[in-house]
Amino acid sequence: MSSNVQFLDPRKSQNSEIDSILRNLMSIQGVSAAAIVDSDGFVTHIHRDFEINTDAIGASVQVVFGAASRAAQHVGHHQTNMVISESNDGYILSTPIEAGFLLALVTQREALLGRVRFELKETIPVLKKLFTSYLAN
Amino acid sequence: MHWFESQLADLDRLAQEYTQAQQKQAGDIVNVSENTRLKRSQFIDAVQALVDKVIKIKGVGACAAYHDGLILAQAAQSPDIDAFGAVVQESIRAAQQGGSSLRLGDIQQIVIVGAINKLAMLSVGPIILCISCPKDINLASVLS
Repeated sequence: MSSNVQFLDPRKSQNSEIDSILRNLMSIQGVSAAAIVDSDGFVTHIHRDFEINTDAIGASVQVVFGAASRAAQHVGHHQTNMVISESNDGYILSTPIEAGFLLALVTQREALLGRVRFELKETIPVLKKLFTSYLAN
Repeated sequence: MHWFESQLADLDRLAQEYTQAQQKQAGDIVNVSENTRLKRSQFIDAVQALVDKVIKIKGVGACAAYHDGLILAQAAQSPDIDAFGAVVQESIRAAQQGGSSLRLGDIQQIVIVGAINKLAMLSVGPIILCISCPKDINLASVLS
């Protein structure tokens, strides 16, 4: 559905679209948090349905993604597109966007991994474009 | 066209609409993003709705949809759900290799018939729809 509203401030409309994307990701079965983390590990946008230490999750996600990327490089895998951490209670998926920003999703165990991964993979190109434009403004 | 064929045709149409939405030039990235998201959710919701309908058909034992071998939609919790995904991934890969040397074109359907059960895998857009039933069931007839 196309919006008829024309935002005067492009950055504001991009911000609102980023929020809509996170809200949409939260609507997937089993997803309990969706966050965008900058290169320093600070959470810039977040939607969640439980209390979460945003500083801790942001920093941890960056550390885990960085470590997985280095591990991949050690075995000759040049670019890391997604890191999936599986635990007893669910998954944490992280994907690079642009300029060191990451999209991280926290899910419960009942989440359908293929559904969440599909949505992430399809969302990333749009987020990349939004961030390129967002960072340029 | 019988019932299941028309359902698959609807899914194909929604998958195509989604692909077209993705390919639109991003002059207005905000509206393009919103439209793509809407088309994607229409497609995925339709996949889930079809899976929910198929499992209710007498004779069908399990129905699920996979993307890259990972579960995307399922009708009910099944202990074999990850095993199905692995079989789907392996079968599609083997069929694609054989298909390209035999010039079959894109793989649309694979059926594995065992002594007890059989499994049909149908390619719809980016996903594979899986239906399992006892060997003696005529899937074409129960899905018509």
